[in-house]
Amino acid sequence: MGFFFKKGNKQPKLKEQYSEETDTAPAKSKDEKESSYYNSETNLHFSIRYISTIVDQDIIQKNILPYLLDKQFASIADVKKILPIEDVQIETNEALIEEKLFNGYLVLKVHTDKQHVAFIAAKEVIVRSLSMPEVETSVIGPKEAFIEAIDQNINLLRIRLPVKELMIEEFTIGSVSKTRTALMYIDDIANMENVNTMRQRLQAIDFDQINDSSYIEQLTADNKNSPFPQFLDTERPDRAAGVLVEGKVVVLVDGSPHALIGPTNLVEFFSSPEDYLFNWITASILRLIRLFAVVFSILITPMYVAVLTYHYELIPKDLTATLITSRQVIPFPPILEALILELTIELLREAGARLPTKIGQTIGIVGGIVIGTASVEAGLTSNVLLILVALAALASFITPVYKMGNAIRFLRFPFLLFAQLLGLLGIVFCLLIVITHLLRLTSLGRPYLEPIYPPRWRDLKDSFIRLSFDKQIRRPSYVQAQKEIRFNPKHQKRRHDIEE
Amino acid sequence: MQPIKVQRKIEPFIVFFVIASTQLGVGMLGFQRIVAASAGYDAWISVVIAGIATNTVMFLIYKMLKEEADLVSIHQQVFGKWLGGMFNLLFVVYFGYALLTVARSYIEVVQVWMFPDLNVFWFTLFFFILVFYVVNSGFRVISGLSFFSIVLPLYLILVFLFILPYTDFRNFLPIYDHSIKEILQATKDLTVITLGYETILVFYPFIKNGQKSEKWAHFGLLFTTFIYLYITFLTFAYFSEEQLKETIWPTLSMLKIVQFPFIERFEYISIVNWYIIIIPNVCIYLWCASRLLKRTVNIQQRKSVVGLLFILLFLIPQLETRYQVDVLNDYIQKIGFAVNYLYIPLLFVLLLIVKKVKNKR
Repeated sequence: MGFFFKKGNKQPKLKEQYSEETDTAPAKSKDEKESSYYNSETNLHFSIRYISTIVDQDIIQKNILPYLLDKQFASIADVKKILPIEDVQIETNEALIEEKLFNGYLVLKVHTDKQHVAFIAAKEVIVRSLSMPEVETSVIGPKEAFIEAIDQNINLLRIRLPVKELMIEEFTIGSVSKTRTALMYIDDIANMENVNTMRQRLQAIDFDQINDSSYIEQLTADNKNSPFPQFLDTERPDRAAGVLVEGKVVVLVDGSPHALIGPTNLVEFFSSPEDYLFNWITASILRLIRLFAVVFSILITPMYVAVLTYHYELIPKDLTATLITSRQVIPFPPILEALILELTIELLREAGARLPTKIGQTIGIVGGIVIGTASVEAGLTSNVLLILVALAALASFITPVYKMGNAIRFLRFPFLLFAQLLGLLGIVFCLLIVITHLLRLTSLGRPYLEPIYPPRWRDLKDSFIRLSFDKQIRRPSYVQAQKEIRFNPKHQKRRHDIEE
Repeated sequence: MQPIKVQRKIEPFIVFFVIASTQLGVGMLGFQRIVAASAGYDAWISVVIAGIATNTVMFLIYKMLKEEADLVSIHQQVFGKWLGGMFNLLFVVYFGYALLTVARSYIEVVQVWMFPDLNVFWFTLFFFILVFYVVNSGFRVISGLSFFSIVLPLYLILVFLFILPYTDFRNFLPIYDHSIKEILQATKDLTVITLGYETILVFYPFIKNGQKSEKWAHFGLLFTTFIYLYITFLTFAYFSEEQLKETIWPTLSMLKIVQFPFIERFEYISIVNWYIIIIPNVCIYLWCASRLLKRTVNIQQRKSVVGLLFILLFLIPQLETRYQVDVLNDYIQKIGFAVNYLYIPLLFVLLLIVKKVKNKR
C-alpha cells in the first residue's frame, strides 16, 4: 500500500494545526456567560461562568444564587456547605475549567482566592420520554425502549438488575464529540476476558466523532470487512438485561438508543426477545420458521435463475409447463428478469425507509401492486418470479435484527451472479464462500458460528430452538461465563411416575 | 517447530469429522464397479476388511504420534535430516497428486453429468479461488468446513432409501462365492476410497490433547466404513452384476430413480452436494502439502499454497479424456496402497527400532 499512498506524512500535520488552535484562546462563544456578584454579608466578591445553553437557569436562579448572596459565604470552601447541590467540586487545576464548563458545570471563582475554583453541577438534561420500541416491536412483553440519554438508559438497566455486581465503566470517546460510553457487565458472571477485550478496544478507538453506537460497533468489530454485524444491537432494555445475566457485555453510548451486545453468534441474530415470552414449543417453531425464511430468501431467486438457465430437466414436467407458460412472452433471460425485479424491490424498500411513514405506505402500494402487476402484464417479468421475489423480500423482513436483515438482503446478489455463471454449482460455490467467511468470523474473539461450529450440543438448547426455562441450567458456553450454572436443578420438582 | 496457539487448535472430537471427510470423496461415486470386477457381489466383505485395515493403520499412526509430534519429526528421527526431508517432499508430491486426482475426477463428473461443454480451466480457477480462501483461513476453518461437509449432505443417507423398492437382495446369494484371494484383491482396489486419513500425520499437532482424539479418529473410520457398506449393499441389490460392469458412476445412476414432486433428476442435486463433500478433501491435501513444505524447506505456507494451486491449474486442463482420468485414479490407488499399507507400517517398525536403540544408549 505504501506504494500508492504515502503514509505518515499527513497525520502529524493535522495534529499540529489542531493543537495550535486550542492553545490560543478561542473567541468566546455567544452563549458563554460570565458575571460578578457581591455578597454584602461577608463582603465577598465572586464571579460565575457558565454556558447558558446547557445549564438549567432554574437551578442557578433558585438553588445557587440566592444561597451564594444571602448565606454565610466567606471562602470558597463554604460553597459545599451552603449550597443544596450535591455535586460541588473544589479544584485547583485550572485546566479542568474548560472541560467542566462544557459539561454543564457552573464555574465559581472568588476574587480573594485565585487558587481555587468551584464547579457546581447545573446541567440541564433534556430527555425525551420513554417510548415504545420501534425496530424490535413485540406484541406482548415490555414496551419500553432505550432513549438517547445514557443515564436514563443505565437507569432502565439498573431497575431490571438491582444488584451490586452490575458494573459500569465509563469512557469518553471521540476527540471532538467527547461521547460518554458505558461498558456494562455483571461482575461475578461475565468472563473477564471478554470485558478486557471490549475495554481495550474501546480505549483504542481514535476517531473524532461518535454519533451512535453503530460507530462503536464498526470501530471495534473483529473483522471490519464483513457484511455481517459482529455485535448484536438492541433497543430493548429487557433484552440487554437478559444478555447481561447470560454473562455478556453491553455497551451503551450517549446519544444512541441502541445498546451493543457482545460476544454474540449468528444464531442469536434470529432470536427475538419475544421468543422468551411464549412457551418453548411456540418459540422453537417460530425460530425454525425464521431460519427457514432466511435460507429461502437468499436462495430462491438464484435457484430460479439456475434452474431456468441450465437445469430445466431438474423439475418435473408439469411444473416446467407452468414455468414455461409464465415465461413465454418474456424477452429477457432469467438472470436479467430476476435482476430487474430484485432491484425494483430494493428500490421500494429503500424509498420506503427514507420517506415519511404516511407516504411510505403509498409507495408500498404503488410499488407492490402497480409496478408488479403492470410489469407482468407488459410482459417484462414472469408472474412466478414476481411471487418468488415478493416472498423472498417478505422472508427477509422476518429477521428480528435490522442490521442482519440488511446483510442478508445483499447476500442474494452474488448468489444470483454465480447462479447465472455455473448454475446450481455456482450457488453452492457462493454458499461455501459464505460458510467459510462465517467460520473465520469471531465476535470479541469467540467463534461466530457457534453452536453449529464448533459444535456444542449444550448450546443448541437456546439457538435454533429454545427449550423450557428449567432446561436452561447453564449459560451459553461460548460466553464462558465465570458462573456457568444459572440455577441449581436440584431444587426442581422431581418427575413423578405415572399416576396410578 | 513453533508451538501452535490454543485458539488455532481443534477439539479432539472434531477429528471425527476431519477423518471422515478426508475419506469421503469422488471415489464414493464409482467404487462399486471396480470392486465388483474382482470379487463380484461378495465385495461387501472387502469393504469390511478395508475398514479393519484402515483402523489398524490408524492404530499404528497414533502409536507413532505418541512418540513424535508429526510426520516431519518422525522422518527426522528415522532417516535423519536429509533423507527425512526427501521423504517429506515425496509426501508433498503424494498429497499434490491426490489433490489432482480428486479435483480432476470431480470435474469429469460435472462434465459428464451437468455441463458437457464446461470450460475446465475457468471452472478450476473458480474452484481454486474457493480452495485458496479456505486454506488461507487456516486449519480451524478447514476443519469447520469438513464438519459441514459431513453434516450438510447427511440427508442423502435417507434419500438412498428411496431406491429400496427397486432393490433385490437376493443378488447377494450365494454369499462367499469368491476365494479369499479375490476378496483381498477387491480390498486392494478399494484403497482409493479409503485414502486421506493418513493426513493426520501432518495435522496432528493441531489437535488439542492429541491422544484423546484417537477414539474419534477410529469412529471417523468406522463411520465411513458404514457409509461405504450401506452404499455397497444398496448398489449390489439395485444393479445386476452385468449391468454394474457397464456403469461408471453407480451411485449417481442409482440416484436417478429418486423423484420428488418438485425435483425430478435428483442426481443433479447430489452432484452439487458432492461439491461440498470434496472441498475439505482438497483443502486438507493442499494444507498438508504446504505445511510439509513449510516444515521441510521453510517456505511461507501461503506462497506454497498459491504455487501448488498454479501448478495444478496448469495440469488439470491438460488431462482431457476419460482414459487419462482412469489412469490417474489407477495410479493413486497403487501409490496410496503403497503409502498406507506398506510404508506406514514400515515406518512404525523403523521408529520402534530407532527408539529402542536410542533408549539403550
